[in-house]
Amino acid sequence: MRKFLIKNVLVAAMAVTGLVSCKKLLDVEPKDQLDVSQMYRNVYDADAAIIGIYGKFQTLAERYILLNELRADMLDYTANADEYLRQLSTHTVTKDNPYASPKPFYELIINCNDVLKHFNIMRQENKLKEAEYNQRYSDVASMRSFLYLQLGIHYGKVPYVTDALETVDDVKNESKFPKLEFDVLLDSLIKTMEAIPFKDQYPSGTTLNISVDGYQTNKFYINKKIVLGDLYLWKGNYRKAAEYFRQVMETATTGTPGSQYYMQYKLGWSGSRTSPGSDDHFVRYTRMGDASTLAWTNSWVTMFERAQDNGFNYEWIWVIPFDNKFKPENPFVKLFSPVGGSYLVKPSQEAMDLFNSQTQLAVQGNGLPYDARGNYTWRHIGNQPVVMKYLYNYLDKNTSAPVNILQKNSKWFLFRQTQLLLHFAEAANREGRYLLASAFVNNGLSGAYPAPGSDVTNYHNTLWDSYPYNFDARNSGSSGVPYYRSDWYRHQGIRARANVVNNTYSASDSLVQIENSIVTELGLENGYEGTRWPDLLRIALRRNEPSFIANKVYNKLIKSGASAGLAEAAKQKLLSKDYYLPFNW
Amino acid sequence: MELKFTSRGNRYINFIIEKTEQMRIKINQLLFLVCLFGSIILTGCQKWEDHNDVTDQELKQDLFVQIKGNTNLSKFAELITKSGYDKVLASSRTFTVFAPTNAALASLDAAIIADSAKLSAFVGNHITTQTYFTTGATTQLRLKMLNGKYQNMLNKSIDVATIVEADKYAKNGVVQVIDKMLPVLNNGWEVIQTDASIPALQKNYMLSLFQKMFDPTNAVQIGINQTTGEPIYQPGTDSVTINKFWRSVYDLKDESKQFTLFVLTDAAWTSELNKFKPFCTTLTNNADSTTNFASWAVVKDLAIEGLYNATATTDTVLSKFNVKVPVDKAAIVQTIKTSNGVIYIMNKVDVQPRHKIQPITIEAENYRTTSVDKRGNTYFRDRLNPVTGKIFRDVNVYNHGTVLFNINYRVNEVYSGVKYKAYWVALNDFNGGTAFNQKLAFETPTANTFTLQKADGYTAVNANVYTEVLLGETTLPVYKPVLDVYLTAANSGAAAVNPIVCDYIRLEPQF
Repeated sequence: MRKFLIKNVLVAAMAVTGLVSCKKLLDVEPKDQLDVSQMYRNVYDADAAIIGIYGKFQTLAERYILLNELRADMLDYTANADEYLRQLSTHTVTKDNPYASPKPFYELIINCNDVLKHFNIMRQENKLKEAEYNQRYSDVASMRSFLYLQLGIHYGKVPYVTDALETVDDVKNESKFPKLEFDVLLDSLIKTMEAIPFKDQYPSGTTLNISVDGYQTNKFYINKKIVLGDLYLWKGNYRKAAEYFRQVMETATTGTPGSQYYMQYKLGWSGSRTSPGSDDHFVRYTRMGDASTLAWTNSWVTMFERAQDNGFNYEWIWVIPFDNKFKPENPFVKLFSPVGGSYLVKPSQEAMDLFNSQTQLAVQGNGLPYDARGNYTWRHIGNQPVVMKYLYNYLDKNTSAPVNILQKNSKWFLFRQTQLLLHFAEAANREGRYLLASAFVNNGLSGAYPAPGSDVTNYHNTLWDSYPYNFDARNSGSSGVPYYRSDWYRHQGIRARANVVNNTYSASDSLVQIENSIVTELGLENGYEGTRWPDLLRIALRRNEPSFIANKVYNKLIKSGASAGLAEAAKQKLLSKDYYLPFNW
Repeated sequence: MELKFTSRGNRYINFIIEKTEQMRIKINQLLFLVCLFGSIILTGCQKWEDHNDVTDQELKQDLFVQIKGNTNLSKFAELITKSGYDKVLASSRTFTVFAPTNAALASLDAAIIADSAKLSAFVGNHITTQTYFTTGATTQLRLKMLNGKYQNMLNKSIDVATIVEADKYAKNGVVQVIDKMLPVLNNGWEVIQTDASIPALQKNYMLSLFQKMFDPTNAVQIGINQTTGEPIYQPGTDSVTINKFWRSVYDLKDESKQFTLFVLTDAAWTSELNKFKPFCTTLTNNADSTTNFASWAVVKDLAIEGLYNATATTDTVLSKFNVKVPVDKAAIVQTIKTSNGVIYIMNKVDVQPRHKIQPITIEAENYRTTSVDKRGNTYFRDRLNPVTGKIFRDVNVYNHGTVLFNINYRVNEVYSGVKYKAYWVALNDFNGGTAFNQKLAFETPTANTFTLQKADGYTAVNANVYTEVLLGETTLPVYKPVLDVYLTAANSGAAAVNPIVCDYIRLEPQF
């Protein structure tokens, strides 16, 4: 007893000593944390805040892919997956499922709000020039809108918070932040996005468009017009959606015509399938017709493997790299790879069947009875099907073995030109431009509007139509008279580039048929790039046709060996328009 | 590029101050307690030793001491000492010892005890490295013993012995007391070589299958061939002697696996041989060659991997070559247990020719060679067969410009005296709907082999046929250890006339 008494007295005495004697010591500023008074002093601090936002955004990559792909029809879980991953796939998500928590989204949203608040203060105090402020404010506001769109897609009704809250848990206060219906949320987001003062990318020469650790940063940042176009597409304002998409499609239509002018975001060729350019990403065989000669260089697969060169820049709109040289760690090797990773998810049988239901262009007899994009997208490693798109910077494409087992490099593929063109086609189709929409899916503008002879003056174009549906793809050939090399003359169509035959549509029901084929094409072309669930949901909501999404999920589950009861329960859940995750943390 | 979000720092600062304060208090408390405990430890160390000490005395003893201490194992302990294994068991490695009781060792042959090599092998047959507990042996484990042989452990049994005192821990392993000893057995091949009860005819044939094979692993190089640049090896060092049975069927010397071998009595062997001799005739009617071919035809299906239990309900086993081998339990003359399986001596194993002589399928895209290199005109094509609903790969050589261009395949061990029907699947979807002719031929590219072919030996390949097309039948007059099969193009240089296309060729024996 006495000992403890002594102890207490001693401790009390020492504690008091500590308090009085160390005051000075504690006044020293810590070296790895910034006080708010030191933040936001100049444009470099503002840049650091933006890099901080994107750094934290990278930690959402795993969640983004899982929510957007595993809930849809093309991605399946493996035997290694835990209960929570399985719940995502089978649409039986419980409230405690960590993958389904909206909290990480809101943490970043609160960060965005805080940064936006301080940008406003900086502008008032003239610490940012107007152009600097406009570019940075618009970037962060777009990121926030993108995050809210994701929340709307996965949770339906969500609180819309634009204040800089002290803690993220305040979001749950329903009296302060009532949940908005998805449709109302879209209105708010469109309003915010229309109001942002700058809708282009950071111009070259600005402090955020630089080279860091061997990466050009210009593709890191969100494309604001894509966000706007997608918001309008969800909202059903197809004209506005098409206008914004068209603006992105014409990004490179400036200056002296050259490769970039004709190719970037226009799905242009630089060579041909038999004599490929290095930048056009044809599905090709070194000897067409010989299935054993599928090309692994200068081909469709190259876009997932290549560094940030011209071909990369023409194809990709939004990509964030994961590199062993910087944090955060690449989540994709863990998710997808059986070598060096945990192999948690795999392509579904439904996805494989989708690839195998296509026919390639006929050479040496009938066409090959599958889509070679499937061969590039997934492969068997050790008898297990593996999604390969994210692994081409990690596994050697010839041996399937890691180039360096510890260097887990990859890229987070967020958006590229095929999604842009197909989303444009989706809008155009809804606006009654059936032939134009099918041109982008099939074999391009000149394929859809062919010229009967060598004079192309009145063909290869839709110039009679109004903006944004007026395209000029006239190509007279090198000796044609009159001579044409119009802006879109190299455009080739998504299925043509992928060496698969055109879709055919019956005239009686073009709208729905073309829309279905656009969704199918998005799966074949952009499968596992994180847009599958949104693409399916958008159509289901638009048509008020829950079976559109329910049947696809049902097929995935049945083909993957799930019990009939489980698949049927998932189907019924979706048929009752219960598309959303529990909003809970 | 460490990306870190660092706003609202003032809150962090407050937090840090708070934390530092708490930590300071904790440190002071800790210092005081350390002083306090220090004195306790000084005075009370004895108590800790008592607490941590090993209470189970058996864990203080190594395996050998523990075996010696068990009166029921005294005989085995003697043998361990005599064989020198006591030093092994006292080493720092861990072992599992399957120790037979004194009663179990009563019948041990004195000759084994007297011969130090045999004794060492016997004792080593009871010891394995690592610890194996009966609780961990819920599925059968095949343990490698110190003498190189293997034993099967399953729950409380090892081979035929039962573990009567299980899982007795010692400092460096575990002792399992067993009620029967584990004699050292010969493996399957050693039994064939040495056991007097093995019938002579099959034994002699199997022992005649030794041949020398090139193997440069241990070769001594004595020079380089000036013309070819290839190494020249010292004669006698560049080859190993190997038995065809080990290489083509199963290596019966392999202790780590288990095999079942059926050995026919001389009468049964002769009868089987006579059954298959008509399918193994030679051009010159050479009796020795025919016997040789027929012997191989018989013996290759007489071994299976795994332990075939004669009491099992099945009466047919499937050989490595997919041949149904009937096993009549009444025909078992003798059962010989080997260290890696079992040998049954049988007075009848009546394999049917229709089972032995199997259909031959040749995937056309896996050819051996072509008459001229036309890889640049060769297409390996994937197509969906609407008849089967499956995707297949075929080979198509087009516009090769070579008259009588041909592709060669090789098939091993094709029997004589049996009628084969030949079919192919050849998809002509590339020739503008025009039929063309190609030929399937045995032995030479231009031979006329099958009955339904045209006078010149060719068969029409009509457009868009996905089904099997019957080419006719043929019977080989002599047994072919290696048969050349040719797919031959038309006698023309024109692209539309001389293509070759084929998915697969199927030769179906008729009985």
